[in-house]
Amino acid sequence: MSINIGGWSFNIDEDAYSELKRYLKNLEIHFATEESSSEILTDIESRMAEIFRSRLTTYKQVISMDDVHYAISVLGTPEDLSNEEGTTTRDKFSSPGYHRMYRDPDHRIIGGVCSGMGSYWNLEAWIVRIIFFILAMMGGLGILIYLILYIVLPEAKTTSQKIEMKGVPVNIHNITEAVKKEFDSVRKNMNL
Amino acid sequence: MDLENTKAQMRKGILEYCILSVLSRSSCYASDIIKELKEAKVIVVEGTLYPLLTRQKNAGLLSYRWEESQQGPPRKYYELTAEGRAYLADLDNSWNELVESVNLIRTR
Repeated sequence: MSINIGGWSFNIDEDAYSELKRYLKNLEIHFATEESSSEILTDIESRMAEIFRSRLTTYKQVISMDDVHYAISVLGTPEDLSNEEGTTTRDKFSSPGYHRMYRDPDHRIIGGVCSGMGSYWNLEAWIVRIIFFILAMMGGLGILIYLILYIVLPEAKTTSQKIEMKGVPVNIHNITEAVKKEFDSVRKNMNL
Repeated sequence: MDLENTKAQMRKGILEYCILSVLSRSSCYASDIIKELKEAKVIVVEGTLYPLLTRQKNAGLLSYRWEESQQGPPRKYYELTAEGRAYLADLDNSWNELVESVNLIRTR
């Protein structure tokens, strides 16, 4: 398969690709509390492309698992980075605990606006829904507000965003907890 | 006490200073900075450098420009700003003071 990293395109083995994706995802979580995290990730991706290019020859044109492991060893896993910064992983991940309003895709009925607001204010989503419903009945104002909020509020896609939505400090412990919860709910749905 | 952690803390303190020192000679591409820092053994994994560069840039100590390269996409070249030079001069002084202090204690 073919991928694009740091402005270069590469052919990569499928298993190597999933390993690379997992690594970049972990880095994203590691740098999530950093002010310009996307810039840092872009820089690291450019460097990664450079490392990959140095491993390719005329005879070897496909990125393999070995190349991905090599690049990871050069750039460092999130654990390596935390060690080098001289903090434990747990300290590093604790941010002041952002609290933001998002749309909640996991508990949505229409667009997740009400469930998101419910999470933010720690209210049951149906209370918010009833308020919107009443406002919608009275001349449609509820519908208008809903549409505006739908456009304005981002959807909570990543695990750290889902934690921010509820206003708990984002650290590795909470992320693990949230991921576990997600697994459990998937398992529950499968049993039904 | 954790020896590795103490060592990491020591390195962390001087890493910022080292980056600015490397850049004080000429503007550099991130990979050039990495090469120097690795040769001097101040960093082990390269990923440590990027958040620091971005923080220093956000603090106004560094700026960067995009420069075309003969092969591949344009590269980010970092350079010290005037503020960065003043900051570095300050760090130079405090580094000398630190070395003196430590030597004084160790040679007593």
